[in-house]
Amino acid sequence: MAEPIYTVASDSETTGEEKTTSTFPEIAVGIDIGTSQCSIAVWNGSQVELLKNTRNQKIMRSYVTFKDETPSGGVSNELSHEYDMLSGAAIFNMKRLIGRVDTDPVVRASKSLPFLVQTLDIGVRPFVAALVNNVWRSTTPEEVLAIFIVELKVMAEYQLKRPIRNVVLTIPVSFSRFQLTRVERACAMAGLQVRLMPEPTAVALLYAQQQQQAVHEGMGSGSEKIALIFNMGAGYCDVAVSAVGGGVSQIRALAGSPIGGEDLLQNTMKYLLPNSESIFSHRGIDEIRRMGLLRVVTQDAIHKLSYQSSVQIDVNLGNGSKLRKVLSREEFEMVNSKVFEKCENLIKQCLHDARVGTEDLSDVVVVGGCSYIPKIRNLLMEISKKKALHEGIDPLEAAVSGAALEGAIASGIGDPFGSLDLLSIQVTPLAIGIRADGNSFIPIIPKNTTMPARKELVFTTVQDNQSEALIVVYEGEETRAEENHLLGYFKIIGIPPAPKGIPEITICMDIDSSNMLRVLAWATLPGGQHPATPYMEVKMPTVDDGHGWCAEALHGKYGATMELVTLRKKG
Amino acid sequence: MQCSDFTFSGSDSRFYIPSNPKITGRRPISGRRSLVFFPNAPPCNSTRSPSISIRAKAALNEGIVSSEVAEGSFYDLLGISQSGSLEEIKRAYKQLARKFHPDVSPPGRAEEYTKRFIRVQEAYETLSDPRRRALYDRDMVGGLQVAFSARRRYDADEEVPGRSGWKNCWQAQISELKRRSMDKDSRQNMSWGARMRRQMNEQV
Repeated sequence: MAEPIYTVASDSETTGEEKTTSTFPEIAVGIDIGTSQCSIAVWNGSQVELLKNTRNQKIMRSYVTFKDETPSGGVSNELSHEYDMLSGAAIFNMKRLIGRVDTDPVVRASKSLPFLVQTLDIGVRPFVAALVNNVWRSTTPEEVLAIFIVELKVMAEYQLKRPIRNVVLTIPVSFSRFQLTRVERACAMAGLQVRLMPEPTAVALLYAQQQQQAVHEGMGSGSEKIALIFNMGAGYCDVAVSAVGGGVSQIRALAGSPIGGEDLLQNTMKYLLPNSESIFSHRGIDEIRRMGLLRVVTQDAIHKLSYQSSVQIDVNLGNGSKLRKVLSREEFEMVNSKVFEKCENLIKQCLHDARVGTEDLSDVVVVGGCSYIPKIRNLLMEISKKKALHEGIDPLEAAVSGAALEGAIASGIGDPFGSLDLLSIQVTPLAIGIRADGNSFIPIIPKNTTMPARKELVFTTVQDNQSEALIVVYEGEETRAEENHLLGYFKIIGIPPAPKGIPEITICMDIDSSNMLRVLAWATLPGGQHPATPYMEVKMPTVDDGHGWCAEALHGKYGATMELVTLRKKG
Repeated sequence: MQCSDFTFSGSDSRFYIPSNPKITGRRPISGRRSLVFFPNAPPCNSTRSPSISIRAKAALNEGIVSSEVAEGSFYDLLGISQSGSLEEIKRAYKQLARKFHPDVSPPGRAEEYTKRFIRVQEAYETLSDPRRRALYDRDMVGGLQVAFSARRRYDADEEVPGRSGWKNCWQAQISELKRRSMDKDSRQNMSWGARMRRQMNEQV
C-alpha cells in the first residue's frame, strides 16, 4: 500500500512539523464569484469548509475600489460605510458585464450603476471606469474579476499554508462559451487553472452528497431522486433538474437567464423615483452620490420586504428632493411581475426539457440571495405542487460548497466515510450549431446533451460548382442565427465541382472531457471514397471580444455564395 | 436469408449491431435472446437499392462510437438482463458512469474513458426511453434485420466497404491529428481531474 498522500494539517502553527505543508496534496478550492457577493471553500479532509477573511466573514462583497494606484477588493478591504461604495470609485456587478457587448440589454441596464458604463451601441465591449481623484480611470470586467480571485487566493494560501493552483469556479447557466473564455482569462490573470461549473449543478452535487450520506446513515432509500434546483442571485437566475442516486448527480436539464436581484432593485428604484433616469443621466459627482443613496435605500427596503409586509422609505436625495413613501410587498411584486414571470417560465421550461412532471419531483432546492423573497418561494411551491421546499442547504453557501466538493473529487482524494464517492454528470447549457438554410441556426449538439459528446450533421451546397463554404458557429437557442452567440467561423475550401445539393459537407462537433469544443468539417461527393479536402479541425471559440458584427460583415461581403443548407430527403 | 454477402461495418451507426460476430455466423447464441430468425427481413435488393434519400437520415446520425469498445448489446454493456427494470437501468448507468466518466479517469486515459462513457451514455439513453427501448428490442429480436433497420435509419450507404473505407481513413487521420496535438502538449489527453491528480503525484 502506498503511503496516504493526504494528511490533515494541524490547527496550531507552533509545531516544527509544519514541513508537511510543502507536500500538502493539491486539492482544488471552490470559488463562487457572484454579482454582489463572493466566497471560497475547500475540502478540509472531512467536510467542506468556507474560509473566512480577517473580518470573520465567509461571504464577502464583490466590489473593487480604485482609490490609489492599487485597486483593492471587498475580500481584504473594508468600506468605512456602505455609501463609500457609491462614490464612483467602487466597481461592482462585473459578473453581469463580463463578455458582453454594448448592444446587450444587460449592459444598457448597467448604465444606472454609480460608476461609468459607457456604450457606443455598435457591438463592442463597453467602456467601464471608476472615478479616482476626479479622473475616470478605465478598467475591465476581467480585471475586476481577477482582483477578486487574487484576493481570495491569497487569503486561502495564507490560511491553508500552501499554494493554490487549481480552482473550480461557478458560473451562470446562461454564460456563452465566449463569456467562459473571459472568465478563464480572469483566472489566468490570477495564475489559476480553472474548471468552470454551472452554479445549480454545484448545488446539485451538494444535494447528491447529502442524499448519499442519508443512505449511509440508513435514513435514505437509495433510490433515484429527482431534484429541482433554483438558484437566483443578484445577476442571474439558473434552474437545473438533476436525477440523483448512488452518489451521482446526473443533470437532466438546465435553464438560465441574466435576471436577478439587480433587476428587482432597478425596477423598484424606477418605481420609487420615476424620473430617476433623466435625473442621473448627467453623471456628475453629485448625481452619482444621489443615485447611490437611492440604491442603498431601495436595497434595504427590498430586504425588509422579505420579512414584513410594508416598509417606510424616507431619504433626502439632496438638491431639495426628498423621497418619503410606504412601499408594500404587493407593490414590490407588482412592479417586478415581469421578472417573476420570467422565473416561472425558466422553471417550467427546465422541467419540460428534463421530461419531468411535478409528481416525479422529490425535492425543490432554492438557493441564492433571492431565495428569501416570499414571492419566489411561493412560485416554486406552486409550480412543483409542494407544500414545503427542501431544507438543510444553506442558500448562500450551496454553490461554493458544491464547487469545493467537485474540486476534491477531481483531485482524486479518497474519503474513508465515502463522502467523496460522488460524480457530477453535466449537460450542455446551450445548443451549438452553425448558420445554414439561409439565416437559420441549425443546432448540431442540442441543448441538454450529456458531456462529453460528439455529434455530426451533413450539409450541402446552394450553388452549382460551389467550391467554398463558410462555417459560422453559434451557440444559443434562437432560430435566427444572428440572435445567438457567435463563437467563430472558418471556410471549407476545395469542394469538388458538382451541381448544388450534391456535395456532402459533414460538420462534426466534439466536446471533450475538459469541455473543449472542436469543430471538424470535411467535404465528400456521394460515393466518393475519400474526402475531397483535408479535414478541418477548429477549436472554438475563435472570436475575440464578441464582435457580433463579424458575422454581419461576412454575410455582407459574401452573400449566398458560400452558404450551406441541411441535406434533405429527395422526392 | 440471402444476405450472407452483406458486410457490416456497424461501428459507425448509432445503433451499432449487437453481437455483430454472432450475426455474421447467422446464429444467435445468447440464451436470453429470442431465437426468432429475421422474421421481417425484407429482400436484400430493396434494402440495398441505391437511394440518396437515405442520406438525409444519415444526417441525423448522432455520435461516432469507436468499434474497439463495441461489444455485445446495450444490455450487455450495462450488465443487466433484457427484462431489466427502469430502476435497474438507472442504477447500472450510474455505477458505470462512476467508473468510466473521464472526470475519474486515470492520467493519460481520458480519451479512452470518454469513448467508453459516450457508449454507456448511448446505451442508457436508448434503454431508459420506453419508445427507443421497444425499437431497440424489436431490432434485436429481428436479428439480422437490425443491421438493415439500423443502417436505414441512421447510416445508410449502399457502398458499405467504400464507406467504411473512408471512415477508417478518416479515423486514422483524426487519430493522427490527436497524436500530433498530444505530442505538442500531452496534457490535452488528460481530463482536468487527471491533470490535477498528476500534479499532485508529482508534488508528493
